[in-house]
Amino acid sequence: MLFIATVILAVIFQSSVLPVYIADPFKPDLLLIIVVYLALRGSFKFGSPLSWLLGLIKDVLSGLYLGLNAFTFLIIFLVIKNVADRLYAESSFLFVVTVLVATLASATINLLLLVMLTNVPGIAYSITSGLIPHVLTTAFAASLATLFPRFSRGNEAL
Amino acid sequence: MEIFKKYGFIILISTGIIAGVLFYSLNVPRSREANFIERGIMASFAPILKPAAQVSRFFEDIWDGYISLIDEHKENLRLREEIRDLNSRLVEANEAVQANLRLTRLLDMKSNINAQSLTASVVGEDVTSWFKTMIIDRGSSSGIRQGMAVIAADGIAGQTVKVGASTSRVLLMTDHASGIAAVIQRSRARGVVKGKGEGLCSMVFTTRDEDVKVGDQVVSSGIGGVFPKGLPIGEVTMVKRGEYGIFQTVTIRPVVNFSHLEEVLVVLRGGYE
Repeated sequence: MLFIATVILAVIFQSSVLPVYIADPFKPDLLLIIVVYLALRGSFKFGSPLSWLLGLIKDVLSGLYLGLNAFTFLIIFLVIKNVADRLYAESSFLFVVTVLVATLASATINLLLLVMLTNVPGIAYSITSGLIPHVLTTAFAASLATLFPRFSRGNEAL
Repeated sequence: MEIFKKYGFIILISTGIIAGVLFYSLNVPRSREANFIERGIMASFAPILKPAAQVSRFFEDIWDGYISLIDEHKENLRLREEIRDLNSRLVEANEAVQANLRLTRLLDMKSNINAQSLTASVVGEDVTSWFKTMIIDRGSSSGIRQGMAVIAADGIAGQTVKVGASTSRVLLMTDHASGIAAVIQRSRARGVVKGKGEGLCSMVFTTRDEDVKVGDQVVSSGIGGVFPKGLPIGEVTMVKRGEYGIFQTVTIRPVVNFSHLEEVLVVLRGGYE
């Protein structure tokens, strides 16, 4: 229930609350933060379909291409999950760094898929021009997420 | 002596009463003047009465102050509540005035469109920064279909792309995937307005010999049937003609401020399932 509430809150914040107060490039990717959390703390069985689903939710609320972020999130989850066992997953610092790298990776995979499979001239410029503030604000949002008590306790249910 | 012993107390009381009456009756004619007894008593109490009155007044002030403090505190709370109430009413009134202005402008725009239209409110924006879409609170249950024109009070906003039962996604004209057939109002030069991201658009397929100048107004041409003819799109901010090539590069700033969009009109015409 807490997880569902978190996802709903993240979606509401990202689509209806944050755009009112902050400029476009500074929008953090809250759903990606949840995916990274799932990859570092959650189980493979639960996390992989959920990551895909979170990406699908993001696709419904963004752009024209259903499945773009679903695929990206799944790839990111699988890669992080693959190395998570060798990392100190409880570390807040590691979480923030992973979110930062994952945001970069997400933008790169999105860009590759868009360039390869669609005809949207100029999208590369749009993505790259706003990438640095986007990455930094997402990492900042991730650092705020580490302040929640639930984060330090971990999530046994996942 | 025996009598005094037996009735001494009664005699004393009676004497006292009689003496009191006598004393009173003797003083009645001179009641306006203080006699020596009165003066003596007054003189002996005067030094005590003055500071006593001052002390009494001091405590009275404190008491009054305390009482008035309690009253003022209550009044303060009441006034604060009143101010809060009035402030919220003021904000509501301002909001109503602003909404009224916006809706009046939207109605003006509605009267310019020769087609049935529907008012919708913007309830969400694109969650990423590189796509430009927004969510409105009307869907297929209100008769909206994909590909319908969405218009703001100032001009064209975009078109519906994904329609749910009660909400729809609108592809804004600044998105890279957007394309609107347009003409330069002054010279009637044709082209297609495409989104560039970052809140700007470009007019493509305008041949280099067409007359386009900075400051020209760009309006919809009506070709394609999605957008009604003559609706404002934007203003030309830059024109670039290279040495080679058959087209010129025209940059357009949309007339609609997408970051402050709250209400839009959906033209209930065309569209597809």
